[in-house]
Amino acid sequence: MKKVKMSENKLASSLLRGLKALRQPALATVFGLFVGALVILACGESPFPVYKEMFTKSFIQPFYLFSTLTRATPIIICAMATAMAWRAGYINIGVEGQMIAGSFAATAAALYIPGPPVLVAILAWLIGMIVGALYALIPAILNWKYQVTMVITTLMLNYVANYITSYFVTYPLKDPSGDGLSLQTVQLSKEMWLPRLSTTSTFNAGFIVAIAVVVFMLFITKRTVFGYESKMGGFNPSFARYGGAKQVKVMLVTMALSGAIASLGGMTEVFGLKYRFADGMLTTPSYAWTGLMAALIADLNPVGMLVVSIFLSGLQIGGSAIQRSMGIPLEIATIIQCCITLFVSVKLVIRFKKHKKGNKSGIVSSQEGKEVSEA
Amino acid sequence: MKHITKVYGNLYANDDVHLSLNQGEILAVIGENGAGKSTLMKILYGLEQPTEGEIYINGQLQRFRSPHDAMAKKIGMVQQHFMLFKTCTVAENIVYGSEPRKKKIFFDREKAVKITEELCEKYGLYIDPRRIVGDCPVGLQQRVEILKVLYQNADIIIFDEPSAVLTPQEVHELLNTMKKLAGMGKSIIIITHKLHEVMEVADRVMVMRQGKYVTEMNKKDTNIEEMSYLMVGRRIVTTKVEPQETTGVVLDIDNLVLNSGEGKNILDGFNMHVDAGEIVGVAGVSGNGQPELIQCITGLMKPTSGRISLAGEDITGKTVGEIREAGCACIPEDRYLWGCATQATLVETAVMAHQYKPELSRRGLINVRNMQKFTNKLLNDYDVRHSGLSQKAGELSGGNIQKLIVAREIEQNSTLLIAAEPTRGVDIGAMEFIHNRLLEKRKKGDAVLLISSELTEIMSLSDRIYVIYNGKAAGEFTRAEATEEKLGILMMGGTLNEESKNV
Amino acid sequence: MNSAYIASILNSTLRSTTPILLAALGSAICSRVGVFNIALEAQMLIGSFFSIVVNYFTGSVLLSVMAGMLAGSLVGLIVAILQVKYKAADMVIGTSLNLLVNGATSFLLYLIFGLRGRLVDNRLVSLSKINLPLIKDIPFLGRVLENLTIIDYLAYVIAILLFIYLFKTVSGFRTLSVGISKEAAESLGTKGTRVQMRMVVLSGALCGLGGTVLSMGQVTMFTENMTSGRGFIAMAAASLGQNHPIITIVSSLFFGLCQGIGLALQNVIKSQLTMTLPYIATIVALVVFSRRSMKSKKAAKLEKM
Repeated sequence: MKKVKMSENKLASSLLRGLKALRQPALATVFGLFVGALVILACGESPFPVYKEMFTKSFIQPFYLFSTLTRATPIIICAMATAMAWRAGYINIGVEGQMIAGSFAATAAALYIPGPPVLVAILAWLIGMIVGALYALIPAILNWKYQVTMVITTLMLNYVANYITSYFVTYPLKDPSGDGLSLQTVQLSKEMWLPRLSTTSTFNAGFIVAIAVVVFMLFITKRTVFGYESKMGGFNPSFARYGGAKQVKVMLVTMALSGAIASLGGMTEVFGLKYRFADGMLTTPSYAWTGLMAALIADLNPVGMLVVSIFLSGLQIGGSAIQRSMGIPLEIATIIQCCITLFVSVKLVIRFKKHKKGNKSGIVSSQEGKEVSEA
Repeated sequence: MKHITKVYGNLYANDDVHLSLNQGEILAVIGENGAGKSTLMKILYGLEQPTEGEIYINGQLQRFRSPHDAMAKKIGMVQQHFMLFKTCTVAENIVYGSEPRKKKIFFDREKAVKITEELCEKYGLYIDPRRIVGDCPVGLQQRVEILKVLYQNADIIIFDEPSAVLTPQEVHELLNTMKKLAGMGKSIIIITHKLHEVMEVADRVMVMRQGKYVTEMNKKDTNIEEMSYLMVGRRIVTTKVEPQETTGVVLDIDNLVLNSGEGKNILDGFNMHVDAGEIVGVAGVSGNGQPELIQCITGLMKPTSGRISLAGEDITGKTVGEIREAGCACIPEDRYLWGCATQATLVETAVMAHQYKPELSRRGLINVRNMQKFTNKLLNDYDVRHSGLSQKAGELSGGNIQKLIVAREIEQNSTLLIAAEPTRGVDIGAMEFIHNRLLEKRKKGDAVLLISSELTEIMSLSDRIYVIYNGKAAGEFTRAEATEEKLGILMMGGTLNEESKNV
Repeated sequence: MNSAYIASILNSTLRSTTPILLAALGSAICSRVGVFNIALEAQMLIGSFFSIVVNYFTGSVLLSVMAGMLAGSLVGLIVAILQVKYKAADMVIGTSLNLLVNGATSFLLYLIFGLRGRLVDNRLVSLSKINLPLIKDIPFLGRVLENLTIIDYLAYVIAILLFIYLFKTVSGFRTLSVGISKEAAESLGTKGTRVQMRMVVLSGALCGLGGTVLSMGQVTMFTENMTSGRGFIAMAAASLGQNHPIITIVSSLFFGLCQGIGLALQNVIKSQLTMTLPYIATIVALVVFSRRSMKSKKAAKLEKM
């Protein structure tokens, strides 16, 4: 009897929790779209046709849906890279830099290491991941050895990576055949390209890489001791330390994984879409920051991040569509995105406040149950 | 105060409570943890607003929206957790709120020092005004709190659990101060659950239980037994500890030194040993190296020199994981800092430091089902009230989360269990429960190291007691030798001569 | 290297220091009251943008500066409400506001002017340059202080005023007390949350002013994301300056010097590489400083336990 009742309770409570977890971002999205509507009104357009156009040209028409998924690929991966570090309490806002460093190294390796293309490609991906990991380890080690805050170092390293790669594609590695304005490397050989998954669009196997990363992330968080220890470290580092978690190791592994994943995001873009490394190709579409937003909105939940990343990518694809057809700047997508994040954080706050109050009374409650029911 | 009711959510922290206070009198408000004493005082001091009820002072109805309002009506409060700015000087702390000014906007710090000196003189409570508060011992910090209230010209002074952090001698001094202040015409409310203090200073006693006013009486008409009965609502059974033979040394600490990095030794040649089958207590005023001692044993800190061995194995300077592996479990003194993460689920809380056990994980991969089973076992065996495994640790009440932590650490089945403040802030029921579990652990022949600021707890459970003072073991007593007075003198840094030893 | 060259480096050092110093002061006062404000970047960028917008339409320098400060304070107010009042996570609020302002300024740039990337217009009036009467004729010093704007001087005055306010006045004492222990301050009747909010809004105004210098000082234009990490460099400057207004002047000058040297080296080394200098310098400075302060930090940590 008791057991049946318990499992019933369990099911109900887990369902309830699932719904509650969804309610937050959903409400925030509605608010975000509402703010977007106000902005559209301020532009002198009426929101409904604009939104209709925006969503048709991002999710509904197949061609645009493929574009959305293509653009979502690096965003998903960046979201995972961000979440990997944030969930362990390491505020890595340098995913962009790690992505640039890793994918640039991979491109250079793919272009200049001699050998059979497929082997070189595999080697290049490996090198890219290692460089991304190493680039993420710089702030980690500085934090470990000198207690330098990662918020500043990771961000500073974004600029460093961007300027240095910019130097390389402007001078030593510049494609000489292009015109003077296109700052990019030469094209990769065709054998290294990721296969297309659709004949009509640029949708490619990079998306499969992204899904694989999501699965990997789920596995790490739910099924490994490392995932457990890093999560506890993120909640309360003292607790993890007291419990015997190997914190330095956890931090270094976490950041290395974060950087390696970040570099994957850039490499899918290089090997699946652009087939070369070009200046600003990863910063202009702000993949890393969109990924960060997705991670925050989904509260670092892997499947949630996948969904949110695709949604945000759709907003951007739809945003550029309405810029072309209606003259509304595509940054409307950024505005909606950021508003959703802000609303999510505020919602979380309200939930947290309630929770705290409940807690406060809880201390008294064990003795006062009776009075409550009388009241 | 009339008909005071305070509701948190759907919980009555105060339910129709009355309180009256005459000038120059000392009123003791007594009750268990969670009886609503503190809430009532917070309302009187304006920190909380009552849901219902009124406050009258000298017959006039008052409304306190903030402590500022209360202060304006000459009510002051010495809080249990000192409300001090540790990096500021004594004088700065005392004049806060009505600082002496130069040219209207500038802070006249010289004058603040002078004011403080005058205040010390007037009330006979001496302290160096230029000293940084964080460097003062706890007793002096409390004195700053009292002077602060006096500077605000309070006529009604509330003391919230004032003796919790003091040594017996400091308590004695504090009670004298209170009497002196009452003699000067101040009215005093003291909140406490220590009944001998009540007997010593109070004129009148008011009892609260479960948020309700129970009764009040003059001190001379009552006694400790009656008060404790009224407080708890039932008779307390004092735990009886059977004597037991010990078998072999488990923990041996030899000349342990920990340097703060500024040339000061926090632990200064500390020696002790704990044997199998005994509970050893460490008594001391906070700030004498107790947390550091625990952290050195558990590996959270590396000692500067000295040797710690556990069951014959040298564990000095090893990592937390290795020391736990060697057979050390620890109930931490601060459950929310070390003992759990408020956002973690009960499973995640329960498996901490068990995560490498072969039943729970192999080659870094977790066995989710076994983890849940294990957690359920702990929750049931230790009677932790909860609403499901995915409940968050922070949603449990303080007593329940403490029980879960105790469960987790006892179930390590380690040869040594360190219990630091194992019953801080839990209700009497949970306290008895935890005490019994510690005694069971002893009965099994394991070693228990108990570190507590509650002298009564140490004295009732320990087979042997060390006093820690300034990072040194200032004395060692068997259960039979120990008295509160002897411990108190050593805790204050005094020495026992032959005469007082014979007391 | 001749003295004229050094003087010109020092001159550009002073110019680059101003926005960093102003933002660093903003960061310092937030830290002093226990608020971790990382929306400095947003507060600066919006200041740069709105000062240029008002400049474009009114041609009034004074109004532009006020608009920049006001815009910065408004972002500060959002931080104050969400982060201080409703206790939302600082990282979430900070990063999303930084991104929001970045997107919103680009959006408005397109909407108002139909432009992408940057706004340059000969209608724009720059801050008037001051050449101090006597000093301008002193050879070296005259060159160092050549063509500075009034805000370049004002920044140091603000730092000194902040120092006096925080450490010498009663109100400043109470403000600082909130940072030491908000609980204790509130128990004594200081409205801690309000004090914190006030400081965050003030930091918005300071950053807004910093942003204004950026868009109307050396150059008179707005470029997308023109603050490019200065908000974070300012955070580093404030933390190196121990959140003390006067020491922060020194640390800000150091970062200004790095930018000055970076600019000067552009003739010798490719600009992409010299541009990295301030960022690398920030990291190095944080490392060097922390190494020195490690001991005292450790002691402080021990005390806390």
